[in-house]
Amino acid sequence: MKLLLIEDEKALATSIQTYFQRENFICEWAANYRTAVEKINIYRYDCVLVDLMLPDGDGLEAVRELKRSFPETGIIIISAKNSLDDRITGLNLGSDDYLTKPFHLSELNARVQAVIRRRSFQGSQQIRFGKIQIDPQEHLALVDQQEIVLTRKEYDLLVYLIANKNRVLTKESIAEHLWGDDADLMDNFDFIYTHIKNLRKKLMDKGCPDYLKSIYGVGYKFSEQ
Amino acid sequence: MKLLERILKYQIITSLCVLTLGAVLFYFSVNYLINQEVNKELMRSKAKVSWQLRHIDELPVYILQLGDSLQLDPVRYPGQMALVERKLFNDIENEYQPYRQLVFYERVEGAWYRVTISKLLAQRQQLLEAVVMTVTFIVALLLISLLLLNSWLSRRLWQPFYKTLRALDSYQVEKHEVLTFSKQHTVEFEQLNQSVTQFTDRLAATYQNLKEFTENASHEIQTPLAVILSKIESLFQDESLRESQVLALSEISEAANRLAKLNQALLLLTKIENRQFLAGTEPINLVPIINRKLRDLEDLIEQREITVKTAIEPTGPVMHPALAEVLVNNLLTNAIRYNMNGGTIDITLHAARLVVRNTGAPIHIDPELMFERFRKEGTHSASLGLGLALVKTICQVNGQTLTYETDGPWHILTVTW
Repeated sequence: MKLLLIEDEKALATSIQTYFQRENFICEWAANYRTAVEKINIYRYDCVLVDLMLPDGDGLEAVRELKRSFPETGIIIISAKNSLDDRITGLNLGSDDYLTKPFHLSELNARVQAVIRRRSFQGSQQIRFGKIQIDPQEHLALVDQQEIVLTRKEYDLLVYLIANKNRVLTKESIAEHLWGDDADLMDNFDFIYTHIKNLRKKLMDKGCPDYLKSIYGVGYKFSEQ
Repeated sequence: MKLLERILKYQIITSLCVLTLGAVLFYFSVNYLINQEVNKELMRSKAKVSWQLRHIDELPVYILQLGDSLQLDPVRYPGQMALVERKLFNDIENEYQPYRQLVFYERVEGAWYRVTISKLLAQRQQLLEAVVMTVTFIVALLLISLLLLNSWLSRRLWQPFYKTLRALDSYQVEKHEVLTFSKQHTVEFEQLNQSVTQFTDRLAATYQNLKEFTENASHEIQTPLAVILSKIESLFQDESLRESQVLALSEISEAANRLAKLNQALLLLTKIENRQFLAGTEPINLVPIINRKLRDLEDLIEQREITVKTAIEPTGPVMHPALAEVLVNNLLTNAIRYNMNGGTIDITLHAARLVVRNTGAPIHIDPELMFERFRKEGTHSASLGLGLALVKTICQVNGQTLTYETDGPWHILTVTW
């Protein structure tokens, strides 16, 4: 998978690049509008991450450019601008998603994977992890071909965990992924624990090994080891 | 009271005073002149009568005018000469009429006589009244026509002023409007219009600056925060970290997350206060928003075993849809956060009123104080303390009223529009 990151903040760009390299993605970086347009016109990317405020141009222009040359490329806008107008303009121009800074890298990762999945053809849409198989279109989760009945939140949680497999996920990022702005409603994160516990139980009931590792004080890690 | 009405009021009051005072003064001065004239005539008559009494035996009738009368009474001693006014019976008119009498004493052939010359005042009185009335009437007519002319002229002349006033009245800074006016002949109004134009021009520029500043501040603060959070997340992946380091990192992460949320909430608050969310023209139906929100919060509600009762009709205020979302969101999350386990939430929406009632611990301060920023009752560490401040600001911007009452265990938030 090949990604292009258009972002003028070097420190942030490095973090994102490192994060995706661990995912075995090729993540190229353009620090300004000019480089971005050059790269867009030469190479093909599976997904492009665009910051709207660039030192030498408007990120929305880059989105337009990209839509003209490679309409099948997935686009995620990452912006500090949370204004409704920009969000709507961005989505109207054909970007697939809009993420407001600051965001969790794990959240960005999950969104990138979802965009790539939606943009690719059938077959590769299936998500597999160990004994688990997920059909995102049907919202169906299987362990060894047997369906497990999950609530909407448990399903979202499972997809999120698999997208960020082999990584430490903080409780904040999980809470924000599942409840968005309402995440701060939970005065402690016991509530996530309830969902994690239920999900783990349902998976293990179907003969799944315990993939979920709890990391004291931080969060969780989903891995095969 | 309108300016022109006030001016007219004072003009009328002044005119009436001047008119009344003038009429009275005029009456007295004319009266005085007539009196003087009568007195002079009486003195002339006296001179004639005295002369004739001394030189002629009989008094001729013609020396006194019609209506006047002369009376001679023999007296033993002379008295003082006196000028008196009294009512006497007039045989011709058959009624009492005012007379002026001059009483004096004259000695004729060794005997004293009291001579009384009476002068009828009735005609003079009528003349006096006629003159005063006519003059007063003419002056009153003049004043009324002047007032009418004045008010009509004022209305015409002040028209540009009212036009400017109307334009200012409907002025909305968030529309980035600059008010311009057509050229005026009156210097003052032209000056006023120019000032208003310059003023709104500056206002629009300042507003634009402020808006840009808010946007820029958002960008400038969010970006370093994004860097911090991304670095923390990358650090978490480092397996060589000791447990104590991981715990410290986790606390840094929590604080940074909180800072990010705080910044976002404050920015939203600023944007709403800057009226960057203009209301549309159509009322927003709050029912789907409430239902969607309740669905989102379903598992939180279930976990805390809260009973939700709704009685909602498809209605809502005229406002920006994004603000309607924020309003409902904050009211409902507030009702959940400060509820007790196994409590109740009561949502009523009908007839221009949204009421959210929830059970909860009693608060010990004036409920209205809960609308202040960063005001929290108790120690809900996850709460930013901005939820109700946001709701209040949204209501203020959209001209809705928000009240917070407590009734036993019930906390009642009411939005009326």
